[in-house]
Amino acid sequence: MIETKDETRSGWLVVHVRGRADAESADTLEDALKGALGKSTKVVADCAKLDYISSAGLRAVIQAARAAESLNVEFAVCSLNGNVKKVFDMSGLHHILKIHGESPC
Amino acid sequence: MLTMLEEVVLLAVDEKTGSLRSTREFATAYALVGAVFFDLALSHRIDTDLEFVHIIDRAPTGNSTLDAVLAHMATHPDLTTVREWLEEIFQKRDDLEGEALHSLIERGVLRHEKSKLLWIIDVERFPLVDDKPQQDVRVRLAGAILSDEIPATRDIMLVSIAEPCGLLGYVLSESALAARVKRIQMLCNLETISRTVRSAILDLESSLRQAMTKVV
Repeated sequence: MIETKDETRSGWLVVHVRGRADAESADTLEDALKGALGKSTKVVADCAKLDYISSAGLRAVIQAARAAESLNVEFAVCSLNGNVKKVFDMSGLHHILKIHGESPC
Repeated sequence: MLTMLEEVVLLAVDEKTGSLRSTREFATAYALVGAVFFDLALSHRIDTDLEFVHIIDRAPTGNSTLDAVLAHMATHPDLTTVREWLEEIFQKRDDLEGEALHSLIERGVLRHEKSKLLWIIDVERFPLVDDKPQQDVRVRLAGAILSDEIPATRDIMLVSIAEPCGLLGYVLSESALAARVKRIQMLCNLETISRTVRSAILDLESSLRQAMTKVV
């Protein structure tokens, strides 16, 4: 189960992500992040309340970053916690997308 | 659309002779198992995290190879990690390659030829009937490696499976691969399944080296 909520702050569209990003919810997450790309030139996924991410969830984030690249939208992820941060670190996601410790806005 | 398993096996076919390339045999076998896991993930049947495999849907995919692996997984709740499953399905490596070749023949991509070497040794070859699918796989691999853009999910998976079994050398020159080694490593590292395949290959190579040292 995953919930997303958009908020505009200091020129950024912040997508607050809450819950679990797994095979069941990956499409919802990818759609929410890609949907945000059409609304702003700067989008950040705030993962402070993301409890778990699987490979399917990670692929959703990667494909959102891919879409951002093609649309020339600045895309970042922030506020990763515990195990979610470990998954991002192990996968070397910092090589392909911007990861902030805290919200950039 | 070909499965990931079929794409990897197709890449291993020498386009000139129809023989199967197996430069690092066990590595290729592990990579084939990895390809099956990717196919099951793309079919929304399994998911993985840093350590574990989760079966999320036991419904058949319609592909007999994938369904046999999925059914096998469903009857072994004692095996939970990606590594355990990699080793388990590794035992069926010959079936995986054979079934993928059979499927490629049925699809009209390959044909099967049998001959004798020195009148004694059976030689099997699989010449290309239609070279477009193999060309498509090569173009996608080269694009994913040479570009700086984020590749599509399937192409990330394809690079991360083709690399450990030494198949990238048939797509790009040694110098082109050397120039993009960081990019290749980055793509291979993105997926838990590929990281586990790589680790299994390294462990096996290390065991073989130790065994050889003892023999010598």
